[in-house]
Amino acid sequence: MKKTAYRMALLVFLPAAAMLSACQKGLPVDEDGLLITTRKECFVSNFELLGNDFVSVRNGVPIIDTVAQTINVTVNFGTDLKNLYPQFTLATDCKLDPKITGKVDFSDLANPKTWTVVSGDRQIRKAYKVFVKVQ
Amino acid sequence: MRNIDMKRLLPAALALTLLASCEKSEYKIPDPISEISNDCIKRTLGPNIATLPIEFVYAMAIPNTKGKLAFAEVEASIPGAAGTFLEHRSFYTNSSGVDVPVTVGSPSVTSGAKTKVTFSVDTNAVSLRYYYIVPDEARGKQVTFTFSVTGSDGKTATMKMGPYDVSKMEIKRLINVSNSNLMYLSIADMTAYNAASAASNAAKIDLVYLYRTTPAVFTHGLVAPAADPAAYLPGVTLPAGVNNNTKVVKVFNLQDRNLAQLQYGIYVDDIDLQKVDFSTAPNFAIGLRAENGVWVETADKKYRAYVFINSVTTTGTAVVSMLRYDQTTK
Repeated sequence: MKKTAYRMALLVFLPAAAMLSACQKGLPVDEDGLLITTRKECFVSNFELLGNDFVSVRNGVPIIDTVAQTINVTVNFGTDLKNLYPQFTLATDCKLDPKITGKVDFSDLANPKTWTVVSGDRQIRKAYKVFVKVQ
Repeated sequence: MRNIDMKRLLPAALALTLLASCEKSEYKIPDPISEISNDCIKRTLGPNIATLPIEFVYAMAIPNTKGKLAFAEVEASIPGAAGTFLEHRSFYTNSSGVDVPVTVGSPSVTSGAKTKVTFSVDTNAVSLRYYYIVPDEARGKQVTFTFSVTGSDGKTATMKMGPYDVSKMEIKRLINVSNSNLMYLSIADMTAYNAASAASNAAKIDLVYLYRTTPAVFTHGLVAPAADPAAYLPGVTLPAGVNNNTKVVKVFNLQDRNLAQLQYGIYVDDIDLQKVDFSTAPNFAIGLRAENGVWVETADKKYRAYVFINSVTTTGTAVVSMLRYDQTTK
């Protein structure tokens, strides 16, 4: 009888303990609630520009120089440069600063926009300049 | 006295409570409808726009013992425009999915706000369609409908429908534009003009339609007369006085059902036209294709419009449709 009770207790408490341990907190998160990892990679792997109609305005592939930290993109003739949505693809766990929250004005071609890529461990920051050229 | 085992009693009591709560009430056969009765549905979806129909289906029935249907009537709070009618035929769908009409009365007679069908066959139950053509005076107002049916026993059943909001915007479908002729689009007049007519309506010309094969991305364009002529109006000599700086926002995948007349269940309404942000909008849209569209705000800010491209050709012609919203009227 005692043995059965013991087994029952094990059956109930062991999964509960396992679940509780899975919920354990302690891994660091940044101010955005994103997990801070150990990754040091910090680069832009792809870049896209969408027009006001959410259709790509790129003419050809963007040239991303991860050493010079520049992105050169040519857009179609007739692109409305004041209302563009940039999209960055980053290395794993990286994030972008400042965040892109909506349309961006790229009409000042002489002064390229700058975004900073922050690595997964939040220790490395690389500022990328985006140069837009009209076809 | 025997001890009651509470451990065993508790689950039993719980089960009993649960079972008791699940007890079904006995089904009662509903009372048969003993008088003339009716029902109605609105079939049209989307905004109610002046000149377009609102379609209803009005069903009515009378028990055989009470006689037959005598006449059906619809009264609109605002008289419908020409073309408003109540069907005098009832439809059934045959095995091929085709709606087959059965004539049950004489064609409807509209007098003011009332549209009436008098039944000419001995019938007890029928569904009639009602098409209300929204009149221009209903724009921006509400409209209600009173459907009624009278039996041969003199008794009447009535059903009120609405109120329904009628949009402020106006619609104009299938305007032909062409690269060398009808290339001046007026939002104010909701039409396209050639150069000669554009010169006499210069203040009303808001967009220039043009088709260019170079650069390759240009193709079909809707460009404000005030746009950079070298870049966006190549080879165009504007008629004297045509110089409006219209704002244009290009849109993709917004095939308004009323404009496109395609399968898409998308509707543009007043609120959409009110909320478009033109603060940084350019004055040109090029690279347009069929099923693209543009939001437009006229230079005087009087009108906003959604211009939809129904079709284009590679010879420099296109068919456009528009919904226009007047910002100056309440």
